[in-house]
Amino acid sequence: MENIAELSIAVEPLTSDITIADVGDLFLQPAYDRFLSLPVVRDGEPLGVISRYHVQRILMGRYGRELQGAKAVKHFMNNSPLLVSVDRPVEEASHHITRNIAFPITEDFIITDGGNYHGVGFVINLLRGLEDKLITKNKSLAQSFSQLQASQSQLVQSEKMASLGQMVAGVAHEINTPLGYVHNNVEMARAAYDQLATLNEKYEQLISMLQSPDLDERAMQTQFSEIQEMREEFSNTFQHDEMRGLFSDTLYGLGQISDIVSNLKNFSRLDQAMVSNIDLNQCVDSTLVIANNLIKHKVEVIRDLGVLPKVRCAPSQINQVLLNLITNAVHAIEDRGRIMISTFSDGQFVHIIIRDSGKGIPAENLSKIFDPFFTTKPIGEGTGLGLSITFKIIRDHQGYIRVKSRVGKGTAFCVSLPIAEQP
Amino acid sequence: MIDMITPPVKPARPMQNADLRPTLLFVDDEERILRSLRMLFAANFRVLVTTDGHEALEILKREKVHALISDQRMPLMSGVDLLRQARDIAPDTMRLLLTGYSDIEAIIGSINDGEVFRYINKPWNADEIRAIVGEAANIAMSLGQMLAKPLEQSAKEIRGILLVDDSAEIANNLREYIDDSFPGAFHLEWANTLNDAMAFLETRKLSVIISDINVGRDDMTPFIKTLKHFHPHIVTIVLTNFRDTSLLVELINQGQIHRFLPKPMRKSMVLRGIQSGMVLADEIRLRPAAKQRHKVETPKNIPDAGIISRIRGLFRSASKS
Ligand SMILES: Nc1ncnc2c1ncn2[C@@H]1O[C@H](COP(=O)(O)OP(=O)(O)OP(=O)(O)O)[C@@H](O)[C@H]1O
Ligand SMILES: [Mg+2]
Repeated sequence: MENIAELSIAVEPLTSDITIADVGDLFLQPAYDRFLSLPVVRDGEPLGVISRYHVQRILMGRYGRELQGAKAVKHFMNNSPLLVSVDRPVEEASHHITRNIAFPITEDFIITDGGNYHGVGFVINLLRGLEDKLITKNKSLAQSFSQLQASQSQLVQSEKMASLGQMVAGVAHEINTPLGYVHNNVEMARAAYDQLATLNEKYEQLISMLQSPDLDERAMQTQFSEIQEMREEFSNTFQHDEMRGLFSDTLYGLGQISDIVSNLKNFSRLDQAMVSNIDLNQCVDSTLVIANNLIKHKVEVIRDLGVLPKVRCAPSQINQVLLNLITNAVHAIEDRGRIMISTFSDGQFVHIIIRDSGKGIPAENLSKIFDPFFTTKPIGEGTGLGLSITFKIIRDHQGYIRVKSRVGKGTAFCVSLPIAEQP
Repeated sequence: MIDMITPPVKPARPMQNADLRPTLLFVDDEERILRSLRMLFAANFRVLVTTDGHEALEILKREKVHALISDQRMPLMSGVDLLRQARDIAPDTMRLLLTGYSDIEAIIGSINDGEVFRYINKPWNADEIRAIVGEAANIAMSLGQMLAKPLEQSAKEIRGILLVDDSAEIANNLREYIDDSFPGAFHLEWANTLNDAMAFLETRKLSVIISDINVGRDDMTPFIKTLKHFHPHIVTIVLTNFRDTSLLVELINQGQIHRFLPKPMRKSMVLRGIQSGMVLADEIRLRPAAKQRHKVETPKNIPDAGIISRIRGLFRSASKS
């Protein structure tokens, strides 16, 4: 049901001169059973309504029929009836009617078309229509709510994927660099070993020549010069200090790779459950390793980490919070700058402050940065979800986040998480 | 910074006279990479290394370098930046990227701005990198003499462009752009299938081919790779919204595409691409040896042998005439 026309019941209206007694008779006819009231119309213009209740009170009073019965309805009717135009939407009409109707309800309302009488509308039908509408609305509301929930979790998922993608890119480069020289060095060491092994063989041959009773001077001479040549070739390709450096570089590279891998493991602990006893300084450190690729070329990081009590939290989520904040800080720094990360505890909370020397956040944006999809970054660079997810994670941990910023100077975010209550 | 990593100079290596060996310049922000590469190449090349792109540019200004091999992600100057500036300072130096990971923008930049000869992944394989870098250096050595000859004046002729794309709108727009900016200079053909493209290739003289990666149901990559292998004088520009890093690397190493342009097509970009493509096509036509600079790796993973033989056949008939 969209508008009031569907409610309209075409009933022959009363003339203004019809007597009350006649109206009383009409109300008694079965065709009028359903009507609480009847409209009074002259030349198409609705003048009023007369209710069954009112007529009955008049006629049933003492000598009512005798005294009043012959009088015209116009003297008794309610001459400011409720009028609703036929093209009014249902909600609007019901709003108008519920505000203006008298209680108890003894009258229905008149439906007009261009000011002229069109029909009668029952209040009860209006309420039913309204209820139907409410039910369908509720249904679609529930539907869009569940759609919204689904797409929000998809968005969270895709944000996770996006930051995962960024992370993987960075980590791949971080690992491939040491892997590059480690691999190459090992190949070169193998080539060196091959040469040394051949050289060793030649030496052994030389020794057995020396030990043999019939010593062949000429063969020994050849052997000797062959060895000489090989030694020279070897030391031309592989200088001793270079070789030594090659091994220490290789070990260094392997150390780096295992550092990255163990930090990666720390960072992405997929344990969704809350884990107690987490030292947030560790989270800071492993996040910094993960973000290293982003940071190292433009930002100097200063760590000022205090001694912290353990905090009950989901470390993978806290890492995500830290990565979001650090990423934002790096993005805010246009050329080169500084990020300072400090941690401390006040006995109740652990606080992590991430302060950057970036471009700052204008006052008018400060209230919006935690909104989903609020971003000042170009399309493709920012989804605007980072801080809204950060906010949600911190709230889930019963913590809070505050921000302070000065345009042109920098921004500081402070994350505060409650310390685990002692069991 | 060079000196820091240079090992103590030994008395001249007896095998070669240092001046005759090709010179390689490696740029990476990790010194250990430089040390490792220096050892790998020192026997056969004169090896220069630096961690700083600015320093690398100074070296290029100062002396002849045959191949420049650079990392992409570096603090002071990105690899693509370095290659772009190297192109201006020392256009004859072959440019290669050696990198652990590049985002797609960097790879596109290395094509369009860096005109990179090869893209090598870290970790590399010692034999492979020796072969690739050696090939690049040899090309630069052999061209060193030839490029000294003055360029002959090009005969004015109308040059052919083939667009391979399934969108009529793109074809119309491109025609409009070309008529607008270079009236009468180029002859534009449009093919919307691989088959049509082959037919044009067989019947027309083409200087530049502009192609999408997927046209209708045809995958154009084998075509693009094989084409460059057998027709190095045709310059390829890829115009697509397809974005995939490993495909791009293949298109560099096995396809030597001249430009990679994103869709939606932008007038200024495509016109500039055509212009520089034409200059390159002319250079290759007038100095065939120059095509060495765009030599491709033997294409791998080409399923459709039919295409290869058709393009190869074309090549034979072209070289006979
Ligand atoms: N440290 C900061 N300095 C300056 N502006 C900031 C900082 N952190 C956040 N902002 C502002 O808040 C906006 C919202 O940040 P948020 O992390 O939610 O999204 P985003 O970084 O734009 O995109 P996403 O994190 O989804 O990639 C940013 O676009 C930026 O304008
Ligand atoms: Mg963000």
